[in-house]
Amino acid sequence: MEFEELRKIWDAQNNQPLYAINEKAMYNLILSKKKQAHHITNISELLLIFVNLGAGIMILALNLFRQSVNISLYLLSAWMLVTALYTLVRRIQRVKGDQQFDRSISGDLSHAISMASYQVHISQIMRWNILPIAALTLLGLWEGGKPVWIVVVVLLFFALTYYAGGWEHNIYKGKKRALEILQKKLGNES
Amino acid sequence: MTEKEQKQIFEEWLNQHKALIFKIVRVYGFTVMDQDDLFQEIIIQVWHSIPAFRKESSVTTWLYRVSLNTAIKWTKKERKHYQSEAIDGTQHILEESRVRTDERLTWLYEEIYKLDEIDRSITLLLLDGFSYKEMASILGITESNVGVKINRIKKQLISKSKKYDHHGI
Repeated sequence: MEFEELRKIWDAQNNQPLYAINEKAMYNLILSKKKQAHHITNISELLLIFVNLGAGIMILALNLFRQSVNISLYLLSAWMLVTALYTLVRRIQRVKGDQQFDRSISGDLSHAISMASYQVHISQIMRWNILPIAALTLLGLWEGGKPVWIVVVVLLFFALTYYAGGWEHNIYKGKKRALEILQKKLGNES
Repeated sequence: MTEKEQKQIFEEWLNQHKALIFKIVRVYGFTVMDQDDLFQEIIIQVWHSIPAFRKESSVTTWLYRVSLNTAIKWTKKERKHYQSEAIDGTQHILEESRVRTDERLTWLYEEIYKLDEIDRSITLLLLDGFSYKEMASILGITESNVGVKINRIKKQLISKSKKYDHHGI
């Protein structure tokens, strides 16, 4: 068959609907998904901001209330507030950057790659961020004269969080790699 | 834009251009469950895209852009619907038409499905009569790149169709 013949076969289907649409189910789906427009990045950013802000303020307030001289906990509170501020600044930069991509498939893929890179970057930074937070928390517990078993439990908790952070980071890296392969395929001159 | 206006545009687009979405769904989804899953993803994206439509391109071009973007990215997701029935109890939106289709068309769909995600998009646009310029604009690549890809795809499809003719299926 020549290509024009293939096109004729293709065109013939335009008069034959391939499927029927269950309209009620379709509108139910749209209604249910309409409010879920928030992207996972959006949710994780807001979580990071509010958790760090909340915990930072709470630790600071408790320290001030108890008139504690536990320096590590003051440092921990300051660190968490700075983390919340950093995430907020990065979020503003990301939202502004969202407007820079054209609406072609290549532009959309570049946007998706940029989002994936952002997720990879933030997940890595937040994973490393566990280390100073863990160190300051443990120091705070030690300064406060807490029993060893509490220190061990907290240490285990941070170790698990660090491990889970690595797992999450690898998921984002995999997603980014898949998108880069797609973009490479699109741009290949073959 | 009010929700009522959005719904009105959505209905109008779907009525006039559903065949376009059906073709994409069939080219990218292997099983009926996958096709239904992809159709759901596409209509959600089309719905969300309505306020961003600035009439700088035709509705067909816009819908192709949104639907192909969704389909290409959807192929990278893990499939959840290998089973014949929905796992989560959700309702199916697509029902296969009982109209008997041309065997050659079924063969053509199968051959397009064997191509990679990007080539499938180009083949769809080519068969639907888009110019190189329009394809380059939808895909975001140069016209020369589109030309190179099309030549390769055409050769591949013609060669396969000869084998098909030869076996007289």
